[in-house]
Amino acid sequence: MKDQVAVIGVGCTKFGDLFEHGYEDLICEAAFEAYADAKIDPADIQAAYLGTYMPGAAGGKAAVSLGDALRLYDRPITRVENYCATGTDAFRNACLAIASGAYDVVLVLGAEKLKDRGGRGLPRFGHPLLAKGNSAPGLFALAANRYMHTYGVGRETLAKIAVKNHYNGARNPKAHLRMEITEDKVLNAPMISSPFGLFDCCPTTDGGAAAIVCRADLAKRYTDSPVLVKGFGLAVTTGRPYFDPTFDYLGFRSTQQAAAQAYKMAGISAADVDFAEVHDCFTWTELSNIEDLGFCAKGEGKALVHEGRTALDGDIPINPSGGLKSFGHPIGASGVRMIYECVTQLRGRAGERQVKNAQIGLAHNVGGPGAVACVIALGH
Amino acid sequence: MVGITRYASYVPVHRLDRRLIEQAWGTRQAKGEVAVANYDEDALTMACDAAMGCLGDQPAPVDGAYFASVSAPYGEKQIASVLATVCDLPRALFSADFAGSTRAGLSATLAALRVVQSVAAHTVLVAAADVRTAAPENELEGVLGDAAAALTVGDGDVIAEFVDAASIADEFTHFWRTDVQRTVQMAGGRFASDFGYGRDLGAAIRTILERQRLEPQAIQRVALASPDARAAADLAKSLGFDAKTQLVSPLHGEIGATGSAEPLLLLARALDAAAPGDFILVGGFGEGADALLFRATPALAAARAAVPLARWLAAKTPLPSYERYLKFRRLVEVEEVSDVVTSVLEFKERKQDIRLYGSKCQACGQVQYPMARVCIRCRAQEQMEDVRIARRGDVFTFTVDHLIPNLEHPLPMAVIDADGGGRVYLQIADADDIQIGARVAFTYRRLHEGGGNRNYYWKARPIREASE
Repeated sequence: MKDQVAVIGVGCTKFGDLFEHGYEDLICEAAFEAYADAKIDPADIQAAYLGTYMPGAAGGKAAVSLGDALRLYDRPITRVENYCATGTDAFRNACLAIASGAYDVVLVLGAEKLKDRGGRGLPRFGHPLLAKGNSAPGLFALAANRYMHTYGVGRETLAKIAVKNHYNGARNPKAHLRMEITEDKVLNAPMISSPFGLFDCCPTTDGGAAAIVCRADLAKRYTDSPVLVKGFGLAVTTGRPYFDPTFDYLGFRSTQQAAAQAYKMAGISAADVDFAEVHDCFTWTELSNIEDLGFCAKGEGKALVHEGRTALDGDIPINPSGGLKSFGHPIGASGVRMIYECVTQLRGRAGERQVKNAQIGLAHNVGGPGAVACVIALGH
Repeated sequence: MVGITRYASYVPVHRLDRRLIEQAWGTRQAKGEVAVANYDEDALTMACDAAMGCLGDQPAPVDGAYFASVSAPYGEKQIASVLATVCDLPRALFSADFAGSTRAGLSATLAALRVVQSVAAHTVLVAAADVRTAAPENELEGVLGDAAAALTVGDGDVIAEFVDAASIADEFTHFWRTDVQRTVQMAGGRFASDFGYGRDLGAAIRTILERQRLEPQAIQRVALASPDARAAADLAKSLGFDAKTQLVSPLHGEIGATGSAEPLLLLARALDAAAPGDFILVGGFGEGADALLFRATPALAAARAAVPLARWLAAKTPLPSYERYLKFRRLVEVEEVSDVVTSVLEFKERKQDIRLYGSKCQACGQVQYPMARVCIRCRAQEQMEDVRIARRGDVFTFTVDHLIPNLEHPLPMAVIDADGGGRVYLQIADADDIQIGARVAFTYRRLHEGGGNRNYYWKARPIREASE
């Protein structure tokens, strides 16, 4: 399916504590920007996919939330929910829809209004007894502690990742947390779930992002700067890794498998990737991701981080947008926001955070933790 | 021969120093500490800890289970059945709760002995526990302590032969709590000790000594529950015992007056040290008295408690403040963690959630939790056998969570490889830190409340003794 689908327009709201915006506002802002970018009449959109992880009072339970917000009726719309891979999976489904020949133009929209639910992190669902006491940081922390114990990695390595992503995010006008931070600040922040302090964790954020995809051969009708979908992959592993006696907790097989699928479809290897937007919900997740995506061997991520190779001017810039860490993580929106960043970088329009010679970019989500991962490869 | 076959103690890890009570209220307190149940412990959970310690890894066939407490977490809902389920005892079992007065633990033991004597049963489990609450600033606040004890009585492998028993039933108002009172009330100290406790228990003990034609000097160990540290010594003296050499030293200074568990803990303390042939006299009181006489057998030496009472007393964590005690006891307003376990879910999953069973793959041998239809290792379908997950394991990885809704922070969570297979993911109890490789024992604890009910599930606590 390589090069059959093109992104012709993208949009993204400012991410942040959007207390004065509703769920429908996020959808409208992201969609209108994408419409304008693709110079498209909404009447030409033949189908749509909505990515929202957590329905709220203002919508998100079903596809009709997108239909009502944009008055986009009388055509197929599907809601996608796949943990933190919701956004990239919605995009992947849109690609499949185009590649199948069923539609020429499809809208992908991710939106999440987490702040309507109040303060501290995400509400917990699930079994009332089993795994009770788990939290998003707590679940990733189980892996982080085992990994750090195994490879002799300390919190200072994690801190460098936070510092780097805040540096990038400070250069991104749409990012949630636009301030640079120091390693000291990361290391001395209040503990959330060991080894993660406050600055090892992404914020809870409101935001929306949109992408319009179409048949690659029709792309030039809409834009001079289409970006091609080179490959994509998605893999599910257990959603209860803490019950899996075969799991080593040193990385996520879902990411490794999704990346293998995407690379194979694109006919590339990790070495061909020029930059990547990876799922840094917590600092350690980025460390594991760059290994799971194949940018280095397992256990060698620390060296990549310490040598600055993942910085904006490094040989494999990771999260030039600022990542979830700085840009924010409205769950269903994040994956689509990564597509937005990849397209912006590949078009050379990323301003002071522009990655040099960007030919192939990767968007990666992992959720669960480790239960599901999605990888999208984009390029010229 | 009928008698005690196994026994175990359980003392919660926290101690409230009586100095902290003094500081809070400006009252004078005796020296020492009282044992305090953690925020997630109650009489049910502590009885389970004691019973699991008593039954060991491979529970022998048990025909009946008795639970004794004056502070059961339920007014209506039998605890003995819950206890039996947690301990994975067979469903075909007679069970009953004993309550009413602090001699309930000893009365339940006597009832169990009588059942076995009647040959209606071979083995009966008795577990006693109390978490009695005094009103803040009340004189009982520095007196009451929390603990549990369990034993099995049976007709084989007896470590202490049941010799005789005598009981007194008497209306004597000493300690009480009406159905609408939360805290224990007490009638005047010295009078009640002499005219209630002393006369009733004294009469029961004299009956045994006379019937067995035993002089007081013939009893090596006299284990007398008592309303305070002094009353037991006074009673022993009045009966002709030498309090210094014969009386099993009371627990009031170390952990407080532990209610239904007290006579059984003193019996445990006696058994921890007794020699074959020793006579052990145990007394309990409350609206009368029970006295039981045992004689240690040669089998005792090889079947003493895996963790002696002295070790439970020594392995302790001081509470940093009186306020922490108030919180554990919900004597200040707290926000309970809220969740609902419907009776339908509980019924469907009771083997997995309460008996803690997983599945063992007949194709590849992998033990896994929770119960599954398809093997997580080899993907074999419908080849699973139900398997009991061991109650101990090693921490594979962990986190210490500071943010998750809970009564206490931080809350460690750990992924644990259970002995013999199966990986579980549990809250860590009784500790605010944990490490990879730490050895833990599973403990059945209060998890949250919802739907007007209290919900329990397994947690893991650091083992306090290698022999656990």
